[in-house]
Amino acid sequence: MRNGLALFFGVFAALVLSWAGLLLTAQRQIGRLSQFKDPADEILYPQPMPGLANQGRLVYQDLGCATCHTQQVRREGFGSDVARKWGQRGGYARDYLRDETVFLGSNRLGPDLRNAGNTELHPYADAGYFYQLLYAPASVTPGSLMPAHPFLFDVHPVAGRQPSAHALRLPSRFSPGPGLEVVPTARAQALVAYLQGLKDTYDYPVERSRNAPAAQPKEGGH
Amino acid sequence: MSTEPDQNFRLEQACASDESIQQVHAQLQKTKPEKVGGYPLLPLGVLGLMCGAVFFGSIYLAHNSIRFDPLVYSEQASREKPGAIKIIPLTRAQLGKRVFDTTCIACHQATGLGVPGQYPPLVGSEWALGSEERIIRIVLHGLNGPITVEGKEYNNIMAPLGEALKDEQIANVISYVRASWGNNAPEVTPEAVAKVRADTAGRKTYWTAAELEQVK
Amino acid sequence: MNFTDTNGRTEQMEIDASAKWPVLFIFTHALAWLIVGGALELAAAIQLHTPDFLADCAWFTHGRLAPAAQNALVYGWGFNAAFAFGLWLMARLSATTLRHGGWLFVAAKFWNIGVFLGVAGILAGYSTSFELLEMPRFVTFLLLAAYAIVGVWSVTTFSIRNTENVFASQWYLFGAAFWFPWLYAVAQVMLFRAPVRGVLQPVVHAWYVNGLYGLWFVPVALAAAYYLLPKILGKPIAHYYLAPLAFWWLAIATAFAGGSRLIGAPVPVWIPTLGTVANFMLVVPVVLIGLNLFGTLAGRYASLSGSMTLRFVFVSMLAFVLASVCNFAFALRGVAETVQFTLLYGLRDWLLFYACFSTAMFGAAYFILPRLTGHEWRSPALVRIHLGATVLGVGLLTGGLAWAGWQQGRLLHDPAVAFTDIARAMTPWLAFRTGGLALLLLGHAAFLINFVLIACPVFSPGTAPAQINPPPALEVLKA
Repeated sequence: MRNGLALFFGVFAALVLSWAGLLLTAQRQIGRLSQFKDPADEILYPQPMPGLANQGRLVYQDLGCATCHTQQVRREGFGSDVARKWGQRGGYARDYLRDETVFLGSNRLGPDLRNAGNTELHPYADAGYFYQLLYAPASVTPGSLMPAHPFLFDVHPVAGRQPSAHALRLPSRFSPGPGLEVVPTARAQALVAYLQGLKDTYDYPVERSRNAPAAQPKEGGH
Repeated sequence: MSTEPDQNFRLEQACASDESIQQVHAQLQKTKPEKVGGYPLLPLGVLGLMCGAVFFGSIYLAHNSIRFDPLVYSEQASREKPGAIKIIPLTRAQLGKRVFDTTCIACHQATGLGVPGQYPPLVGSEWALGSEERIIRIVLHGLNGPITVEGKEYNNIMAPLGEALKDEQIANVISYVRASWGNNAPEVTPEAVAKVRADTAGRKTYWTAAELEQVK
Repeated sequence: MNFTDTNGRTEQMEIDASAKWPVLFIFTHALAWLIVGGALELAAAIQLHTPDFLADCAWFTHGRLAPAAQNALVYGWGFNAAFAFGLWLMARLSATTLRHGGWLFVAAKFWNIGVFLGVAGILAGYSTSFELLEMPRFVTFLLLAAYAIVGVWSVTTFSIRNTENVFASQWYLFGAAFWFPWLYAVAQVMLFRAPVRGVLQPVVHAWYVNGLYGLWFVPVALAAAYYLLPKILGKPIAHYYLAPLAFWWLAIATAFAGGSRLIGAPVPVWIPTLGTVANFMLVVPVVLIGLNLFGTLAGRYASLSGSMTLRFVFVSMLAFVLASVCNFAFALRGVAETVQFTLLYGLRDWLLFYACFSTAMFGAAYFILPRLTGHEWRSPALVRIHLGATVLGVGLLTGGLAWAGWQQGRLLHDPAVAFTDIARAMTPWLAFRTGGLALLLLGHAAFLINFVLIACPVFSPGTAPAQINPPPALEVLKA
């Protein structure tokens, strides 16, 4: 190509084509996606995240949890996500309206967290479970790759005869020692509130119908 | 050419000047390969590759983009027009689960077994599975006083839910109870709930077991 | 300096002289980031099989350390090396000197301050959590401003060129120079300044990451290969008439290929489908580029043994082909089902960035630096160490990550396998990865020592200046 101008226009066009074709089109399609109002209970879904959980989202972001955890449940039949109880159904775009920053993630060194707070799937996952997991993952899942986050907790001597209300209950191997207790800091509380708020339980009727597998796979014809 | 066989790796000699590189390649760009006795295979092969890529790419796109529908996330979904796709409704029992999980689960538990001595179970409960009239009344106006469920005595208060829940929600949650944990009783319609609500319009107090036994 | 030579030769020395200090300055920063980033990466790799390593300090928790390492390598080493190489090559091929090089010092300083603040910001907890865009928002303008200077310099040098003909390397450099600021600016606006709603964020992000690898790093690596092969072999690029087609097809297909990172994601299904189709299309330019480059090397593999540069370029070419095969394979839904979210995706990205781009930059550096500094490489032993460590390290990493990723995918796919079992299956292969990274760091250290010896004036007295023979004209061989 002799002409520098031709090169410039070509180069420009190549990227603009993808920007318009991919990003702009997607924005036109789902950029204004809104909540869905359930006709029976007249509640808008997905419900927004409560305040503390929203702060916890920021803690999740700053600690880089998205480096090892995804937050996307693939539909049943494509991978083992639903079978592993990471979700009751595949994810829809509407589910993510409640997230100011979407942590879809791209690595599963740890399990998917989209429904971490869904007690139907994980009845054991209460606040105490998450605190213990964050403080000493080896006490909950021995041999896991997850690093401990002791900096999210405060270890101090027990005041008086009884441990404080929020103190963690840890197995003896992981507890800090006699007379000491482990108490979550505000950041840990926010993070756990966020994790407990992670659940996609509502089944949107339009998405459910449109995504249902086609009745008959058509062989040959289209 | 790097003819120096000493593998000293101290200096890389160039074998072509920049000017000549540009000149020669500009020439090569313009001239197609010479047809040395016969048809050159490479351009044909490249052409075939290009056509193949476009062809298979188009087929794949047509099959798997599902009309570029913004709400479809599965490539196995039906490719019919959105209007032609029927909304698959959930059954009343499935819809009622959400109401149960927000309203009833605290006392009657997720397993429907209640808490022994405190909250009666719903699994196999004759009150839940029996007459519609009774169960709807319980949900609408609450229950107070001693009651025998599956041979055991309970004495507690169930809060009235007639103001908090709409007819459809009440119908859904009762249908859910009647279809879960092994229960198998016919579902309840919102119309039935509306009828009972109208029949008991003036009622402001809890029901008692004795009163309910009068109701058929 | 022999002024009685032809005009071309004098110009070449002038060009090298004009480029010397800016390029050396930028390249010094590049090497510094290579070592620092490599060390951070090694620490992060150790954390993967020894989770307790550095876990007590919030600054080095894995979720912060791994992104910091990646950003340090990509934006620190990767961009600085690309700037240094791109500016020199653009000047050479445009047969004009690099004017007002002082501004390039400013640009380099801004860029590196930006990257430093960015990496420190990630470690301090200001990460944005989008891979390769984790650097906090306050760094964006610094980076864009610095890039603007470098980009404008590169493009202006091209526009005031003294040559009629535009060579393939120039197309790729020109393209890359334009594509990156667009990608980066659009991503910053659509993700952080005026954030799009919901799942559109991962869509923009996938477009950016794919563009960063495919429209910035790969073109610069290809520019290096297209230039260095004829330069050192003295043979023109084979089937060169296919090169323009390859360039345009690569540009357009790569721009759309980002969607294949979103297979199975809760985004409208046409987006990943389009990405997969684009990856199908990418087969064509990869074949054409392969014909160009491997065709040029055909029959001349013996010359690899005499050339350090060509060996690195050869590794780069092989990695390009391997990465493209991975791209194609991972775009197929059936394969993606198992391979998604595993280390194999990381392997593909690493192959593109390190094994393809970085090795090409190493090869180019071994060619360019004696010409810039006027000295020979002091220690061939260190060059050998670098070369050997690179080849061994790349092999270890590729093998280790590939096997670990495959195990991970296979086990993830089976719902009955608990996560602890998956971790146990991966650990020995992750150790391979750590070993490979340590080896690579060793090679980089060897390179750094050689670089300091050749570039630092302190070490030059007593060494002979480099005898750079004037290169002959290229012959057009009758095919």
